[in-house]
Amino acid sequence: MMADRRRINGPPGGTRPAVFASNLQSGTSATDRAQRQRQPSELRKIFLKTGLIPTASGSSYLEFEPSASLAAARANPKSLIPPSSALKLACTVHGPKPLPRSAAFSPNLVLTTHVKYAPFAARQRKGHIRDSSERDLGVHLESALRGAIIAERWPKSGLDITITILEAEDDRWWGSAPDSHDASWGMMNVLAGCITAASAAIADAHIDCLDLVAGGVAAIVSDENTGASTGAPKLMLDTDPAEHRSILSACVVAYMPARDEITELWLKGDSSKASLEDGDDRTGHEALIDGAVDAARGAHTVLAEAVRESLLKTVGQI
Amino acid sequence: MAAPAATAAPSVPPSLSLPPSQFARLQPHAYLLAHLSPPSASNQPSIRANGRAPSQFRVTSANAGSLTHTNGSAVVRIGDTAAVCGVRAELLHTEDIASWSVSQASGSNKRRRLADLGGKLSEEEDDEDTEEDRTHIEDLNLLVPNLSLSTGCAPGFIPGAAPSALAQSLSHQILSLLHSTRLVRADDLRVWYQPPNLGPEEPERHNEDEPMDVDAEQSATAEEKPREIKAFWVLYIDIMIISLAGNPFDAAWAAVLAALRDTKLPKAWWDVDNETIVCSDSVADARKLSLRGLPVSSSFGVFEADAAAGWRAHVIPDVAEQEQKGKKGFPERWILADPDGYEEGLIQERASIVVDKEKDGKTTIVRMEKNGGWTVDTEDLRQLVEISGRRWDEMKRILDQC
Repeated sequence: MMADRRRINGPPGGTRPAVFASNLQSGTSATDRAQRQRQPSELRKIFLKTGLIPTASGSSYLEFEPSASLAAARANPKSLIPPSSALKLACTVHGPKPLPRSAAFSPNLVLTTHVKYAPFAARQRKGHIRDSSERDLGVHLESALRGAIIAERWPKSGLDITITILEAEDDRWWGSAPDSHDASWGMMNVLAGCITAASAAIADAHIDCLDLVAGGVAAIVSDENTGASTGAPKLMLDTDPAEHRSILSACVVAYMPARDEITELWLKGDSSKASLEDGDDRTGHEALIDGAVDAARGAHTVLAEAVRESLLKTVGQI
Repeated sequence: MAAPAATAAPSVPPSLSLPPSQFARLQPHAYLLAHLSPPSASNQPSIRANGRAPSQFRVTSANAGSLTHTNGSAVVRIGDTAAVCGVRAELLHTEDIASWSVSQASGSNKRRRLADLGGKLSEEEDDEDTEEDRTHIEDLNLLVPNLSLSTGCAPGFIPGAAPSALAQSLSHQILSLLHSTRLVRADDLRVWYQPPNLGPEEPERHNEDEPMDVDAEQSATAEEKPREIKAFWVLYIDIMIISLAGNPFDAAWAAVLAALRDTKLPKAWWDVDNETIVCSDSVADARKLSLRGLPVSSSFGVFEADAAAGWRAHVIPDVAEQEQKGKKGFPERWILADPDGYEEGLIQERASIVVDKEKDGKTTIVRMEKNGGWTVDTEDLRQLVEISGRRWDEMKRILDQC
């Protein structure tokens, strides 16, 4: 592979991530596992603040509350291996600005979205060039926002939305071996965060929208050893993948509460095995989508509050 | 111009009332100049458009260790410029270094020679140590700083594109400053292995009837088996400029410094059974880097009342003479500490000074860079070093708190 000459490259022979002795011993004790301390329908707190980047037309910073295990590990550090991680991302909006002369005529606002992980965002070091999962996130984010922005008010204009993820969520607990239920579950939480943050930044840039779009995640998880009455898969909102033994299926929505509209829906995995309460005759995926919408409603309250703050700040300046 | 407007529409107040923000955009140079040189009658002090005194830095805050997946991390905000730095350590096995065996042979010769010298001054030893530091850290690329501006930090940097010239230049400046200050000790990055002394047992078992002196000789050589370097830690230092409003280098360097001060490397050893390096995940075993000093960078920009005056003086000598007579002295200029984004657009000449202070409070200049003009002279530079020294005290207080 050609070395990237525009960046400072490490040793040409390559480096290896540290291997911890505790990982080499097979069968890490189950008590070390991160456990979900929240109720199934309890959401994590979200920190959302707008207007932190004055050079951009709109900006926001979003942070999820650290899970109980991470908070404990931070308060009393014992191991260098973090039990889980909490999403942290910064979003900027530049525009609306005129499209370059070379661009084709567009009667609508042209939306471009970029999502990039910082190299230190995940457990594995990320590259400097966007990989396919980051591009995928960008496409999902664009479709989520396109439905909310009133694009025909800015013909021949462009809007750039850039998201830098400083800390991402894990796809599974670090100690568990990869298995058949693996998928990039962490990415879905990241997308939900991206949607909420981008929506706040767009509002901060004073761009007309139909409503604030909020992202929400729900998942069907099966935690065999939790000591519950049945080992049947259950529906949980705002799941942190590191806290669950196996996630069967997850869903992320971008939701506008005022219009009761979903602009983006992304469902992964097998949702047929969900065990719902008696008398609940929804199918698994219906329940999953409803759950994700509920999570998005929760995020929306935070979003609305952040946007209100941003508005008061601008009114105060004038 | 204002008069006809006023007569035409008497209800509207006389229209010289351009809001300051628009005047700043239309005539940036005149706007800043008006702030810096208020009419002598008004009795106002000369302050910058952003309300700071010329030698005043912006409010700085630092916060370390907030990112989970890093060995050390820091967020530094200088005014509206914000930099996030994360340090990730990975292992470079010596078997992955192409020329390791060759360079090691010559290196160990040197060490043996050193050992032979025996009683020599500790100062010399330190010199030799730093010399080896330099070769290991620089030749093996153990420090890998990369700065990214494509985070939407300012309009004009296209996200997803290759690093801009500014980003490349800043990354390189940080790398060269890391090398020239010798901030990180190579000894912190080495993973040593002491081969076990198994030598004497084997010959005893196999050749019992051989003379004893051969045995003793062999055991002596086995005992001398030197400990060897099995791996190095490579520090990937990634800096994301989250918000850019002027003076990115100071913010980036402060973030690197704070992150390195926060960096903890796990205890690592060579595992003979697995033939690899394993680390302990215990926080108690991990150790911090012992950095050399605390080099703090301060940047300055020179704002000139009439930027062309200096050039004119050289191209058309007569004009210069006239101007000299008219103004009685050099054209006015102000040295602005820590320029923000607005000021940077109006500045040609820049100076960047990195200083460190020794325990006795003596300021040492680690790096000095001045380019883009000739209005700053030696006396000015001396003053700038003094200001940088004061900035050092301030930054030390901030970094110690975080």
